[in-house]
Amino acid sequence: MRLTRKQMLAGAAAGALSAGGIYELVDQLSGEAPKRAAPPSQRPDEQHLLDSVSVIVDNEVEVVVPPLHHQLLTANVRADDLRAAQRELSEALDELDRTYEQTPAGLGVTVAYGLPYFERRVPEAWRTHAPYDLRARKPALLPAVRFPSDPHETLLEENDVAILLRSDSRDHLAHAAGVLDLDSLDVTSIRRGFVGGGLPKKVSMAAGIPGADLVPASAQLFLGFTSTQKDALGPRLIANHETLGFVDLGPKHYFRQGTSVHVSHLFEDLEAWYLNFDFRERVATAFRPGQPELREGTLTVPQPLKRADSPRGVRREFETQGRIGHSSAIQASSRLQRDHVATDGTVYKRGTAVPQRADFNTLDNPFDWSSRSDVDQMQPGPRAGLHFVVFNPSSDDFHRNRRAMDGVLPDGTRLPLDARERNQGFNSVLRTTHRQNFLVPPRRHRSFPLAEL
Amino acid sequence: MRRLGVLVVLGAFALAGCGGNDAVNAASKVRCPAAAAAGWQKLANRVDAPVFCPSWLPDPLDGVIGSRWNNINEVSRDRSYLLSWVWQETGPGAAGGEKHVNLRGYPGRTRVPKCVNADSNKRELIPCFSDAAGTVRVGGRTATVYNVNQDADQWHVLYAWRYRGSLYTVSEHVAPPFGYRKVRQNLDRMLRGLALVQPTTA
Repeated sequence: MRLTRKQMLAGAAAGALSAGGIYELVDQLSGEAPKRAAPPSQRPDEQHLLDSVSVIVDNEVEVVVPPLHHQLLTANVRADDLRAAQRELSEALDELDRTYEQTPAGLGVTVAYGLPYFERRVPEAWRTHAPYDLRARKPALLPAVRFPSDPHETLLEENDVAILLRSDSRDHLAHAAGVLDLDSLDVTSIRRGFVGGGLPKKVSMAAGIPGADLVPASAQLFLGFTSTQKDALGPRLIANHETLGFVDLGPKHYFRQGTSVHVSHLFEDLEAWYLNFDFRERVATAFRPGQPELREGTLTVPQPLKRADSPRGVRREFETQGRIGHSSAIQASSRLQRDHVATDGTVYKRGTAVPQRADFNTLDNPFDWSSRSDVDQMQPGPRAGLHFVVFNPSSDDFHRNRRAMDGVLPDGTRLPLDARERNQGFNSVLRTTHRQNFLVPPRRHRSFPLAEL
Repeated sequence: MRRLGVLVVLGAFALAGCGGNDAVNAASKVRCPAAAAAGWQKLANRVDAPVFCPSWLPDPLDGVIGSRWNNINEVSRDRSYLLSWVWQETGPGAAGGEKHVNLRGYPGRTRVPKCVNADSNKRELIPCFSDAAGTVRVGGRTATVYNVNQDADQWHVLYAWRYRGSLYTVSEHVAPPFGYRKVRQNLDRMLRGLALVQPTTA
């Protein structure tokens, strides 16, 4: 069923919501799934990579088109016999591999593990094999922390497991969730969402979200600007633990081809964004205060390697303009500040992005479902937000980027900005509710890693 | 929340698409309510220019200058004026909220004024009304819709139109109980219900 604008405004959407859940609207409003290339002959060793992701050109910028539907499950391990649980999960994942390619048209499955899993379930093996971040002089997997702009109530989670499912097909996600409904896992939360040009406005209008009318018609994200331009995403292997060389993989390189992932949820105040920041200020806030003039309504703003910002550049702009832009502040940490030769010989040019984003729009409030509704402060009704999912070589690498977003730069500079003040990038319209770091093992160890040792 | 200084100068931002004609014919059937008429006539005489009296505002606001809801009644030396009606109630759900409507006039000028950006460390001047989001034509009058506004119109949606060489605006705060869509409906109704009041003094 496709919904017309009139039907949406007349409340036909409300019927659809009660009948099939809010995310059914994504299929009804998006039309055909994006065209995807044929899958490669071999699956990557990495769990977090998706092949055959298409690229379009918008405003002369190459933009990656992510999978349409996203679902993230968190769980705790229930099994007493971890090796039996390992076999059970492994068989379930193999079944999904046999059914789907690891592509948007098929299904992306990424199983990640939190510190509580390693410390409670496999403590001795973890002590031996835990990857270590030599640059940070800390373990590569860290407990989540609150950042300067986080409210006090941001919940730092302690789930054992997170499973990220990505696909253009909602049926594939539903099937996968069914296959992964295992005795060994106690699901603690289900988080859902979507990505796609034009969907944030259509879906949020249908759901009656305050400020939905103000979202640009073709926006990929609620806040308007395109986030998945190719230059802003880390190239294929850069987020692996081993690629940039600052993670020590231990004696047997057990977690080689693994990575780290940060999972958080944040609410976005659309009315505050669109009624208080005009286009010029939205650009300055999202990108940089000195961003050259853009045609009003531009959503994809080039962020090429050669113009990646540095701590010095961010400091200078703050001194002259009294504010920082979201992208430029993060680039001071997330983009390579000089050419880098990776351990496999690949040369990554200065300005190359390291993080691989996998975030998605959501109307969860804050989750689609929670086993701890009081703790997670579950509320009825949809609300605009983002499930932020990003792969980095280590937890600390993400922490550096997130601190830079608050004006705490990697060279130690702490710009004098109050928490969530208007000049601190996006922060005044965001409110983070949950955070946790996970480790993503390579595919060969994706089922309860270290349990076999 | 941003605080902005007074609007100080007329800017170079032309008001796009506003009806500059005498398009009050459709509105000619609209009358300024009896309880409000004297106050608006007095204002028109004081600024020596036509003003627009609202025949409808969201309940309980009444458009009566000097009523219990009228919290601002200001005329500047340049004859521009700001009239504001506000209702506020604290309480959960439908028991609480805020309704706030501003009507402005800038006799003798049609350009969008500028406001001081108090968040800038350089006393930067910015348009008082920005992020134009098209036009609406209601009751024979064409107004430009502005989504981002400053000073007393911050967090309001604002309709601006020109009439005989002057700029006029009506704006409403987007706040519970009214979301953006409802505010736009209210503004359409307010625009439709504006009664022209001509000055009577020589």
